[in-house]
Amino acid sequence: MRTRAVVVVAALAALTACGRRPGCTGDYCGTLVIAGLGEPSTLLPPASDDAHADAVADQVFVKLADLGPSGNTFGDVGFVPELAERWEWDNPRTITFHLDPNARWHDGRPVRAEDVAFSFDVNTDSIVNSRARAALARVRRVTTRDSLTVVFHFSEAYPEMFYDAVHHVRILPAHLLRTVPRDQLRTAAFGRAPVGAGCYRFVAWKAGQSLELAADSTCFLGRPHIRRLLWRFTPDPSVAVTQLVAGEADVYEIVPPQDFERVRADSQLVTYPYAGPYYTFLGFNLRARGDTSLPHPLFGDRQLRRALTLATDRQQLVQSVFGGLAKIPPGPMPLLWATWDSTLRTLPFDSAAAARILAANGWRDHDGDGVRDREGQKLGFELLTPTTSASRRQYARLLQEQFRRIGVAVEITELDPNVMTQRMETGNYDAALESRQGDPSPISSIAIVWLAGGSANYCRYDNPVFADAYARATGATSRVEALRAWRSAFQVLLDDAPAIWLYSQQSVAVVHRRVADVRIRPDAPYALVRTWRIPPDRLIDRDRVERR
Amino acid sequence: MTAWLLRRLAASVAIVFAVLTLTFILIHLAPGTPFRPSADDRTVSPEVIARLNRVYGLDRPLAVQYLKYIGNVARGEFGESFSQHRPVARALADAVPNTVLLGVAALAIEFALGIALGAYQAARARRRVDAALSHLTLFFYSVPTFWLGLALLLVFGQWLHWLPVGGVGDPVVHDSLPWAGRVLDTLRHLVLPAGTLGLVGAAGTARYQRAAMLEVIHQDYIRTARAKGLTERRVLLRHALRNAVLPIITLLGLSLPFLLTGAVLVETVFSWPGMGKLAADAIFARDYPVVTAAAILAAAMVAVSSVAADLLTAVADPRVRLGARDAA
Repeated sequence: MRTRAVVVVAALAALTACGRRPGCTGDYCGTLVIAGLGEPSTLLPPASDDAHADAVADQVFVKLADLGPSGNTFGDVGFVPELAERWEWDNPRTITFHLDPNARWHDGRPVRAEDVAFSFDVNTDSIVNSRARAALARVRRVTTRDSLTVVFHFSEAYPEMFYDAVHHVRILPAHLLRTVPRDQLRTAAFGRAPVGAGCYRFVAWKAGQSLELAADSTCFLGRPHIRRLLWRFTPDPSVAVTQLVAGEADVYEIVPPQDFERVRADSQLVTYPYAGPYYTFLGFNLRARGDTSLPHPLFGDRQLRRALTLATDRQQLVQSVFGGLAKIPPGPMPLLWATWDSTLRTLPFDSAAAARILAANGWRDHDGDGVRDREGQKLGFELLTPTTSASRRQYARLLQEQFRRIGVAVEITELDPNVMTQRMETGNYDAALESRQGDPSPISSIAIVWLAGGSANYCRYDNPVFADAYARATGATSRVEALRAWRSAFQVLLDDAPAIWLYSQQSVAVVHRRVADVRIRPDAPYALVRTWRIPPDRLIDRDRVERR
Repeated sequence: MTAWLLRRLAASVAIVFAVLTLTFILIHLAPGTPFRPSADDRTVSPEVIARLNRVYGLDRPLAVQYLKYIGNVARGEFGESFSQHRPVARALADAVPNTVLLGVAALAIEFALGIALGAYQAARARRRVDAALSHLTLFFYSVPTFWLGLALLLVFGQWLHWLPVGGVGDPVVHDSLPWAGRVLDTLRHLVLPAGTLGLVGAAGTARYQRAAMLEVIHQDYIRTARAKGLTERRVLLRHALRNAVLPIITLLGLSLPFLLTGAVLVETVFSWPGMGKLAADAIFARDYPVVTAAAILAAAMVAVSSVAADLLTAVADPRVRLGARDAA
């Protein structure tokens, strides 16, 4: 009986081994397993709003041109041609793009100018509600001159008009999508089996498990070295890191701070730090809870907000939570932005000065309970933080302790992010630990979060001086002028202190040591995967597996 | 028997309907909206949310939405997932087989191991080995499932590299394997999640089984069996265990719902794409159609498994006559 069992197991093992068929050799082998934290909702770019979908779309679809290594968003300097092999400025408000005649959709049809015009039309359609729509507001129309020439007409000239024309729109196949009603695009079958013109074509998507792409050996941008890309979905960052350490995945784009040492201790893994796209802050609600027509009884007072900023030892917080993996931002900005300016005038840590300001404004501990009060009102507030962010939960506790030392009571409420956003949106909160992701350019992100009427301006910050400076920055005609205007705008924000800007993360990607030529573009870590390679002498079993 | 079965099935339909109604109302009343991003670092304008609410009919009164939903369910339509942009039936069809596979494997481990351990302990009651196994089963019974999962994953996945750390198959090679290889690959991936759930369950089952066996082996017919000169092994396995296993069948009926719906943490730890994880993700995303459909399906599975457990009890114990009370 025991012998029979051994034979059965041995036979099964042999069958498994037969299936591996180690076939591929040479420069164009390789399977890259990417630990994907989360799963795309759809792979149709105008309908998706998540970073997971962007990572896949970067491989399957092309743009006219894309950001270069410098990350510059002003003018067209440093941009790398993709579908457009070249371009010219007909006048300050018109750009003509000449498409690469070798570009092909994965079904074999050539990519044409009408595809570009169609893609622009879809992305600006109010029914589709693409997140690119706002950024394309100043593109008046897109016309085709011939099958390989497309012209962008802008309503006005501004420094980032080229960036807006090329960065936000991935080119879609008009011949496959034109017949789909716009209100059904989000649920179109195309979204789960897309056809693009990028260097990787879609192969399979197993819901909840994995997504596979295969290299297009005829890609007009150059044949990718790595033959297969596999996203392996996992719901938890630590599990993703475990997959890497166990050798079951090759890449993970953002290692959580608590797992950094585990990754660094593994000799098979190499870390690649890059400027992160996130910044996190403690935002004050400047309007009264439940009645946004009135100022908040505490945070409507600029002096109080400045005192709390002075009482915050941000250096100690960053060191405690992130070690060297984050920086204190000089305003609302991630490390990614060119507007990062360390010479901006920020409020230092000075708890004595904070205490003096509070006392001068009548906030004293009259009853000796350790909490300052004024006319019977305690100096205390509720701080919201999302349950899903370990670092922000940690920050909440550390901030609570720092504020306690100057006699300010903080009550922490941890909430599901959806509920937290709803409370902030309705103004039913005092303060919250918020995190924002920025595009490579600050224009849209700053408008959404810090301008009056911005959809995520939960602080309800409204200062015309800041709005003027913002308008100057977005309307500037040169990079120097724009940076100067951004500096003025951020200084106004820093002086007003509607928030305490706490940290901007230095992201760290981790990649298996056998992968060479790894280049990470901070705004899109997988954008350059097509140039990564696995040298023939470093191939392992999974690199050689042939798909049936 | 037929009348009993029909009554139970009718009661099951009523239970499923009640679960549908409660879930529908509760998830719609929960704070938050379906179209807010799951992470708070992306923003969707209120105008977009309002439009999507219109598109999916969420701007209508709850009663109208409920009646429409009931009508759709009656036609077998569960709607479209807000977060996955595909039919709910497809999402469930992907998840259910994984959940059933995990649940069946975990149940097999739970009962095979639990019954064997419990019987073994009872046969050696109040000896040192019994005490040691009691402590061991108490430990596994008390330990949080996710902690045990992480511990097994670290030891067998990360340190020893004996077993894969997650998923239902190796995404690199699975589709390249012949069918037997694919089966083996799935089994390798199943060992840790099913083992985690099975070990925790087996600890409880073993304690029930030990108590049931101890009660049985002091009965007269066991003494008679021994007096007839049967071997101890035969007495225990043929006479004692068969009768002591009856309460465990009831336990099986109680375990099924937990295994089908309560494996969320294990599914998360082992990236196992089952119903528990699907439902949990849908709750966080306020994906109403998925949440409600998953609740309906879970309730139906629980109701059916409960009926099946009663049927099994009747088969195993001739003294049990289904519907006898009503007949009297």
